[in-house]
Amino acid sequence: MDARLRRVNKEIADCKNDKTSNISLELIDNSPFHLKGSFPGPEDTPYQGGRFEVDIVIPDPYPFQPVKMKFITKVYHPNVSSASGAICLDILKDAWSPVLTLKSTLISLQSLLCSPEPNDPQDAEVAKHYTTSKGSFDETARYWTQIYAGGPGKKEAKGLRGVKDEVAIAGLEKAHVDQFEGLGFPRNKVIDVLRRLNYRGANVAQISEDRIVEELLKS
Amino acid sequence: MSSDYEFSDNEGEYYDSDEMMDDYQNDEDEEMEGDKYNNHNHNNNNMNDDDYDYTNDDDFRIPTKSKSKSYQVEYTSLTQSLVEKSMKEEVDHVSGIFGVEPSTATLLLRHLGWNKERLIDKYMENPTQILVDSGCQVPETIPSPSSSHSVDDKSSSSSRRATRSSSKLLLLSSSITSPSRSSSAQKKISSTSDSSMTFTCPICYDDSPSLIALSLTCAHSACSGCWTAYAISKIRDEGEHCIRCMTEGCAVVAPDEFIHRVLRDDDDGKDLEGRFEELVVRGFVASNPKLKFCPYPGCTNTVSCPSAASKSVLSMLVPIVSCGARGIPSSSQNPTSTSLSTATNTSSAHTKEHIFCFGCPIESDHRPVICAVARLWMKKCEDDSETANWIKSNTKECSQCQSTIEKNGGCNHMTCKKCRYEFCWVCMGPWSEHGTAWYSCNRYDEKGGVEARDAQSRSRASLERYLHYYNRWANHEQSTKLSLDLYAKTEKKMTDMQITSSLTWIEVQFMKKAVEALEKCRETLKWTYAMGYYLGRGNEKELFEDNQRDLERAVEDLAELLEGGGVEMEKEKENVGGLRQRITDKTVYVQKRNEIMLEDTAIGFQDGRWKWNVGVDGFEEPIEDFGGVV
Repeated sequence: MDARLRRVNKEIADCKNDKTSNISLELIDNSPFHLKGSFPGPEDTPYQGGRFEVDIVIPDPYPFQPVKMKFITKVYHPNVSSASGAICLDILKDAWSPVLTLKSTLISLQSLLCSPEPNDPQDAEVAKHYTTSKGSFDETARYWTQIYAGGPGKKEAKGLRGVKDEVAIAGLEKAHVDQFEGLGFPRNKVIDVLRRLNYRGANVAQISEDRIVEELLKS
Repeated sequence: MSSDYEFSDNEGEYYDSDEMMDDYQNDEDEEMEGDKYNNHNHNNNNMNDDDYDYTNDDDFRIPTKSKSKSYQVEYTSLTQSLVEKSMKEEVDHVSGIFGVEPSTATLLLRHLGWNKERLIDKYMENPTQILVDSGCQVPETIPSPSSSHSVDDKSSSSSRRATRSSSKLLLLSSSITSPSRSSSAQKKISSTSDSSMTFTCPICYDDSPSLIALSLTCAHSACSGCWTAYAISKIRDEGEHCIRCMTEGCAVVAPDEFIHRVLRDDDDGKDLEGRFEELVVRGFVASNPKLKFCPYPGCTNTVSCPSAASKSVLSMLVPIVSCGARGIPSSSQNPTSTSLSTATNTSSAHTKEHIFCFGCPIESDHRPVICAVARLWMKKCEDDSETANWIKSNTKECSQCQSTIEKNGGCNHMTCKKCRYEFCWVCMGPWSEHGTAWYSCNRYDEKGGVEARDAQSRSRASLERYLHYYNRWANHEQSTKLSLDLYAKTEKKMTDMQITSSLTWIEVQFMKKAVEALEKCRETLKWTYAMGYYLGRGNEKELFEDNQRDLERAVEDLAELLEGGGVEMEKEKENVGGLRQRITDKTVYVQKRNEIMLEDTAIGFQDGRWKWNVGVDGFEEPIEDFGGVV
């Protein structure tokens, strides 16, 4: 039997048998080389309570070259692209070792959620948010977990607003958005500009309102 | 020069005999305390002299090609096997000093970029540390109780990190290798068929009894098939020759024999053995500033050019070298490809010689201009040439921040997007001075406007100046490219000539020589424009441009003679001899002019005669002459 197929089948079986780690692997379009993995958000983090799905593609030279993984679930994290789900993790690149398995890689992703590396960011805007105002970042990450990863408090959020709160998704203060929207700019444009300028936490005092209006006029 | 060395050689011999006499005297005068001191002193001096002579002697023995022209550098072309030989010498030397296996010495040297002195320092300081760092050996750790069955200290340290399956093999593997340090980097090959326990490969999960388990000194086992696939993937996909153990976090590196052993198991792998060797050689060449790998595709030759090894000399000379090979080699390497002869190439196909610059990544002969300036020029051309013409005719620069602005509609009230400077498109003056004169500019003489226009024209002039040089540069490049066609045409003419005249094949070779000379000189001319662009104004530049003009004239004359030669030939078929004479004369003249150009520039670099109008490393401050020079 093809060594790669044998290995992947064994890995999938191992994952099924292992009940403690709570990590699951399932096939996408009936090929064992295109999988969907998922794991629970680590405890005591803003990701707690969510379940995160990862798209897994197993390349031909596997396990001698790393698997290709990206988040299907949207994650607010400095090392994960908020748009594409691309992941910045050393073991998915040059630090890959053939003894690593799909399970151990998913566990590494889980621990990446515990300990972000804002100095080596995949998503620079999120990383800026993380470094300027950790509290506000945590809030946004928790909100994303609620909205996209089925985290706790989802029902309550739905009950209150009924729709996804774009301001909270962008990690901004509602008062700030309202302030500039009041000047006659479209809401989504205000959110876009404020997010790009990282108008959060201590930065708010440093960015003048003129500068924001200028940016709003430009775009 | 050689007589100096001979003299010192004699001197050495003289001292040798002297020393012997002293020794003899020393023995005799053992008791004579006063003299003893003097004798010792004398002896020491002699010893020093001897050392000195010896090193000189050694240098003298290295064969060096005599340097004929000041624009040429001395270099030698080496085949891969020659480089491998010198690698082996280094390895043997280190292995002799430390008393380690050559494979260990290889890994040590590779780890420190083949810097033998640093390796010796580090090894003397802490041999264990350097052995661990280079991946020869696993780090020493406290042996865990589970490894009580291991035989020697090396394996006990490694067993702590071993995985479940590999620890079973430990007994086997350690019984094969002797516990001496020299064997520590050797591969340990053991087969589970001897063992009662079954082995499951941690990579592919295969557990068939025929499986062969292999591990490095760290005892992290995997089946031979996985090792082969891993090595193939590393070599082919990543171009990596430093192949580490497959276990995560394990830094032990596989020795070369191990790699060859696993590659030989597979048909694909066998083909990669050569590639692996090449990667090893490339690593060695890259770490030695005196060596450079030929950048031409498929070529595995190396050029050694000690005179261009340091960055500082690159402001004095242009190290253009050739690895000796021509064209793109086929899969089996032609053994004659390394011969340095250029005249023997009589094959009909135009195969380009592998000429490149030793000092920079430019893969052509960029003489006479030095690397730093050639690179500046290439960079500028990349940035500017495509768009420069368009910019010139369609845009203006902001008088405050010099951003280039295209006006694509609207009124004359311009606001610079970058610096927010407001100005009038017509007069280029600040908008604030326009007062209420909206949409029409009648203030041409305003001071601000005049200044802005001055700045504008200065910037335009510099662009014009650049285009002057660039167009000529590009023209020669284009002509050089077309020389391939010219070759084909010439070939045909040469054949025709043989039929229509009484000349033999050898006698019509003058055509080919002329085309070759033409191509070479165009290459030189091309780069003189890059040099001219950056040369500071002055008498030196004028002399340079005179030489350039003479060469250019000669080149164009010869080109016309070659291109138009066919027509002429039709007219005066009987007079082929005359044409041959004229072309040969012109060829010689062109070559002479080319030599003068190169020689004079090269001497200029050695004398530090050239001044630039931009900052170039290793030169004086630039001369400001951008303003208004065309």
